[in-house]
Amino acid sequence: MKKGTIHHQEAFLNHIADRLGRKRRTKGVKRPKWSTLPQWNVYQGHSPEQLVDVLKEQCQSIHTDVEETTIRNLPHVVSEVITRYQGKKIVTWDDPRFEEFGLQSYLEKNLPEQGAEVHVWDENRSREKNIQIAERAEIGITFSDITLAESGTVVLFSDKGKGRSVSLLPENYIAIIPKSTIVPRMTQAAHEIHKRVEKGDPVASCVNFISGPSNSADIEMSLVVGVHGPVKVTYVIVTDR
Amino acid sequence: MGIRIGEKEFDKRVEKGLADSFMRSAVTEAQDRLRTGRLKAAEELGDWESWRDLGEEIRHHTMENLDFYLQQLSENVAKRGGHVFFAETAEKANEYIQQVVKEKQAKKVIKSKSMVTEEIGMNEALEDNGCEVIESDLGEYILQMDDQDPPSHIVAPALHKNKAQIRDVFRDKKGYVNNDIPEEMTRFAREQLRNEFLSADIGITGCNFAVAESGSISLVTNEGNARLVSALPKTQITVMGMERIVPTWEELDVLVSLLCRSAVGQKLTSYITGLTGPKEDGDVDGPDEFHLVIVDNGRSNILGTEFQEALHCIRCAACINVCPVYSHIGGHAYGSIYPGPIGAVLTPLLDEYENNKELPYASSLCAACTEACPVKIPLHELLIKHRQKIVEEAKKTEASERFAMKAFEWVASTPSLYNMGSKAASLAMSPFTKEGNISKGPGPLKPWTEIRDLPAPGKERFRDWYNKREKGGRRK
Amino acid sequence: MKVSLFVTCLTDIFYPEVGKDTVELLERLGCEVDFPESQTCCGQPAFNSGYHKESIKVAKHMVKTFEGSDYVVTPSGSCAAMLKEYEKLLADDQAWQEKARALGEKTYELTEFLVDVLNEEDVGAAFHAKATYHTSCHMTRLLGVKDAPVKLLSKVEGLDLTSLPHGYDCCGFGGTFSVKMALISEQMADAKVKHIEETDADVLIGADAGCLMNIGGRLRRKGKPVKVMHIAQVLNRKEKR
Repeated sequence: MKKGTIHHQEAFLNHIADRLGRKRRTKGVKRPKWSTLPQWNVYQGHSPEQLVDVLKEQCQSIHTDVEETTIRNLPHVVSEVITRYQGKKIVTWDDPRFEEFGLQSYLEKNLPEQGAEVHVWDENRSREKNIQIAERAEIGITFSDITLAESGTVVLFSDKGKGRSVSLLPENYIAIIPKSTIVPRMTQAAHEIHKRVEKGDPVASCVNFISGPSNSADIEMSLVVGVHGPVKVTYVIVTDR
Repeated sequence: MGIRIGEKEFDKRVEKGLADSFMRSAVTEAQDRLRTGRLKAAEELGDWESWRDLGEEIRHHTMENLDFYLQQLSENVAKRGGHVFFAETAEKANEYIQQVVKEKQAKKVIKSKSMVTEEIGMNEALEDNGCEVIESDLGEYILQMDDQDPPSHIVAPALHKNKAQIRDVFRDKKGYVNNDIPEEMTRFAREQLRNEFLSADIGITGCNFAVAESGSISLVTNEGNARLVSALPKTQITVMGMERIVPTWEELDVLVSLLCRSAVGQKLTSYITGLTGPKEDGDVDGPDEFHLVIVDNGRSNILGTEFQEALHCIRCAACINVCPVYSHIGGHAYGSIYPGPIGAVLTPLLDEYENNKELPYASSLCAACTEACPVKIPLHELLIKHRQKIVEEAKKTEASERFAMKAFEWVASTPSLYNMGSKAASLAMSPFTKEGNISKGPGPLKPWTEIRDLPAPGKERFRDWYNKREKGGRRK
Repeated sequence: MKVSLFVTCLTDIFYPEVGKDTVELLERLGCEVDFPESQTCCGQPAFNSGYHKESIKVAKHMVKTFEGSDYVVTPSGSCAAMLKEYEKLLADDQAWQEKARALGEKTYELTEFLVDVLNEEDVGAAFHAKATYHTSCHMTRLLGVKDAPVKLLSKVEGLDLTSLPHGYDCCGFGGTFSVKMALISEQMADAKVKHIEETDADVLIGADAGCLMNIGGRLRRKGKPVKVMHIAQVLNRKEKR
């Protein structure tokens, strides 16, 4: 990767140090031990089942449908959701979990047999083509990488096969949530990312925390669900352990 | 647009606000809803005060070490292939942005909501150079279409407009033929804007918080427009106020949690997007090129002063949503893109006292703002500090007021004078008294009695009664 | 218990009866009340207008006035908060700051003193009326006295207390704000009047002379028949039907 550039840093930061009435600090600053860490107390000690309950309840207030199923029944449940959305054009991530969770043959064989077009995000296809496919798709399907119970959030890390547009451009979005990915809140996800950064692992270029469909209250404060992103969202929780 | 908006004179802006009954009822209703939502969201957490304490601590530490964290941020952005430009002034920021636009030969820029780009007047600067700029946040889109009507609230920019007005704007400017139901109009905006996202050459975003440890920027939105702005165009420019930064993702969690709850009563908004550099090798969508513009534009003048805490602001608008003054005069009356209590504190600092000398007085010091602030900025105290500066350094107050305050100092620290004065007050007011009240007061009482009656001073002051009672030996 | 009354300038001049009721109430509850006669004003008019140099002299005078007191009790949350502010105001002079801190520590707003120091909630008052209570901003937000007034009022025999909608909103007094920003202040007072009317109350009770002067003055100007009373007047009432 090409290294980036930094312009006008020295004068700018020296001036800040001046204003703060001290010498420039270029190293050695450590975060203090914060006097209180209330974020870790939220749903502390909750069992996975309890977290699922929290997640399901939160989804009611963020206009998101929830299905719960097993790996065995997953194709059936996904198929029901697709039928509900009446979508014929589908785009998914290129993600080994589709195979792992027994969805691959359903997506590759059964769905096309029922007359649906299923596209997989393809790093070898051009950017324009991939975006066009996602734009025309009626349903986008991805897995959740980390799931936050409190806020009803799926966290998606972008990658080669994991395009940003899949969960964004289609009107309907289905997130498959392995139960093992559910944590209490954003705190655990942020901690996980922080640990990776500390180890020197790169963060995904785009980390999306998605909590239900897009919405706006910009017109007279009245809530409209579905603005620029998906209008309808379903989470499918799968027991995977 | 720049930081200043509307009429030059404060009084005229206030009169206009007070006369706009739709705006006022819309604001009151919005405030009620947002206030209730915020309190509910805070209550759910159980220990909101600990969260506020932590928020304050994080902001304080970050500001005290701002040079360190900005350096860390910029180095990490560059490591990931991004370009960082430090801009001391609005002009320098705009020059850099224009340069990128020229290099890319860009004709169309699509934007997500950003207060700092309004502050530096970026849109005008780009448009003057022949580049089309499209706002994609629904509220900002409406305002831009309505001949650049300025925002009146930092979270809900079009709060002052009703749906019929919005329908008319859509009809006149975009040929919209449908009704004024918000769902319909939103649908229309979605369709109109989708093509713009797909065809824009450059996406420009603001930044809620940058994360120093990884060189990331975060965007907090509900509509999904910021995601489109950062996923589709090949070039992304992010503009951030230099104070909008946290050390690590762990602090990002805390501040984002405080922001979402305080701004809209949500646990998290629909989208929190963390972006690090341009897209990685092998990624398909996302920008090929990423530029981060870090703006000072007067902020450093606040560092190291008694107003430093104003830089702790996370732009949630909780203070605006509880302010009874804002509720009656609306956002435009402040004459600044930053309205409400935080606007009254920040604007004179970022702009100048001369042009904003009324703002620190546009508060009854009820402290509802201070109570609501998720990072515990003592807003009403900062307003008093502004007044102190206006008195002591700028010497901008009227001679009559300075004289009155001198007299007050003298009288209130000299019991004999106070005693005489308070007795005389009763006598002086007696000709104006009717049924124990004064409804047309003389001289200094006039501004009071133009609006309300004044109870006439009693014939006997409390101290007279007390002394008489003492002498009568009624004391136990 | 020996208690020094800080009656406040507004009460001294405009509401002497509130001062009398405060004295009688405290005496009835077993306090020995004295009135240091050199007391003047807490200095807020200057302080809140930014005239800090001018308020320093007043603050020092007040510190001296109450130097010998065990407790300083005042029927105003706003003035009590100002007395507590002296410590910061006089921070440049350590000796004065110490004295100011001592004053702040022994200063109590009346209802706070009754509930927290005397441990009295039922003060044996009787007042047959339909009333609503106006919470003063400085008392609740700066001083943190939130529940004491309502605790006391709920024990008043015959008092039918309705809560005031939008009770958290300022009435628009704000000291010099009421005349400097008269148009805005007027609107705030009108909103308060409207909410008072919504309660159908015959009496508005408050605990701060400033707010009462503003709301009462506006009620009268608009010809509204609502009676305005200070909480000390209610708590010292023994009216039987």
